[in-house]
Amino acid sequence: MSSTYILVAGDARISALVAAAPGATTAVVVGTRAVADAVATSGVGSVVWLGEPGDAPLEAFAGPVADLVAAAAPDVVLASTRPADRVLAGAVAARLGAPVHTMASKVEVHDGAAEVTRAVFGGIARQTLRTAGPVVVVVDGGTLGEGGSAPVEEVAAAPAPTVRVVETRAAERTQVDLGRAQRIVAVGRGLKAQEDVAVVEGLAAVLGAETACSRPLAEGVGWFTKDRYVGVTGQHVQPDLYVALGISGQLQHTVGARAAGTVVAVNTDASCPYFAEADYCVVGDLYAIAGALTDALR
Amino acid sequence: MKIAVAYKWAPNPQDAAVGADGSVDWSRAKPAVSEYDPVAVEVGRRLADATGAELVGLSVGGPDVASPMAKKAALSRGLDSAVVVADDALAGAGTTPTGRALAALVQRLGDVDLVLTGDSSVDAGAQMVPAVLAGALGWPALTDVVAVSGTAGDLTVERAHAGGSQVLHVTGPVVLAVAADAVVPRVPGMKDILSAGKKPTEEVPLADLAGWQTAPVEVVATAGPELKVRKGQVIDGADPAAAVTALVAALRADGVL
Repeated sequence: MSSTYILVAGDARISALVAAAPGATTAVVVGTRAVADAVATSGVGSVVWLGEPGDAPLEAFAGPVADLVAAAAPDVVLASTRPADRVLAGAVAARLGAPVHTMASKVEVHDGAAEVTRAVFGGIARQTLRTAGPVVVVVDGGTLGEGGSAPVEEVAAAPAPTVRVVETRAAERTQVDLGRAQRIVAVGRGLKAQEDVAVVEGLAAVLGAETACSRPLAEGVGWFTKDRYVGVTGQHVQPDLYVALGISGQLQHTVGARAAGTVVAVNTDASCPYFAEADYCVVGDLYAIAGALTDALR
Repeated sequence: MKIAVAYKWAPNPQDAAVGADGSVDWSRAKPAVSEYDPVAVEVGRRLADATGAELVGLSVGGPDVASPMAKKAALSRGLDSAVVVADDALAGAGTTPTGRALAALVQRLGDVDLVLTGDSSVDAGAQMVPAVLAGALGWPALTDVVAVSGTAGDLTVERAHAGGSQVLHVTGPVVLAVAADAVVPRVPGMKDILSAGKKPTEEVPLADLAGWQTAPVEVVATAGPELKVRKGQVIDGADPAAAVTALVAALRADGVL
């Protein structure tokens, strides 16, 4: 029987990890007791909780997590792509000497060897990779799962003493979960000014859609918050309808939206790469098209 | 005292050609200092200038990491010196061997209590090397770092956290992955590029590094990217009202609206 350890840092949304896990599952939870309890009812076999973190950041538990997983020697270690979860996964990979796989679509164990099918090089190709030992797989965590009531065992661990949280400033706005949005209107560099975000929001409002953006608009100019950035290192979304306004279609972005049902791309450039990955390719000005579409649907 | 910046010399997959069977031809994709690494160099430069530390670039990879072009490109960003491991065995190496080799290089360098990295590499985009590097060193790692001040052993670190932010105090060695928009990196001028050629560089033989290897990974199958079949229907938007009428009709026919 193969075994999987699932690493959780402060966020119990691990349904995709539970679904992907081969064999018996144990969750190692860093964070509050409430997080451990929520993980216990998400379909895992058992839960090991490392105790209340106090003023230690969750990353400070990476060493104890690596010790614990190394002692258990599972076939597969799964973690979500959330920041602190990645730090735990990296420490485990370093300790085990295990390869790390991201963008994975399938994880299997055959005769003690792990086989992972994943997108490589930012999504330009796929590979199936076999390792005769443990592997660490880091993928989107999913949503809050429901199922079972696994026992929670407390194994109090000492976090690294050299790093402490001094101050936490809460988000000014509530975070959006784009992964669950049914419709998304996304915009890219075709947007000329920050006040024009209203054009995008107007169309999103009549469609009942969430707004999103490509990387430069979240990290370059900061017109959108980072939770609305779709791309290889951002959100991976799967709406029924994805409207891409003024996004050229660089791989970095399209990889995050490839699971969309119907894709509408609007671009002035008829030869833009996005048109190769879109159902409807509207060659035109995003302002004119978005305005007319908003009027038509109002 | 030294501050290390790990950087990657890598091509952009956007420029690679992919066969239907998933084979990747990199010959037309030219490598460069990976897109977000200059941000880490810039954060390191400002901190080194404020504290009098030496800023050392570290990179591991295939033979081209040691090419004059690669070293100049990295050094012109503001590093004082560079130490690289350039070996066929590390060409295209995965996250774990890369992170472990960088950790071994940090230990060999000595007198380092702070390692900075970029947010993610342009070719793999896994955002995992800083975590493996820290794990191999037994140091904590923090990601999405937007500001660093103080000196090693007494650092104040601000990072993006759950849509807000968090301030942390770090009293020991640490690996910090800086956010892509932490600072705007300098654009190297002719003077920077010329002086980069005179900065000290060291090439460390891979045999000098211990414990970087990991279990071998065997490629058992390759395939092209998993793409849905798209309609690719072009709608002329010269007349926006007509284009929108056609689009809405099509989306309604598809049952999307």
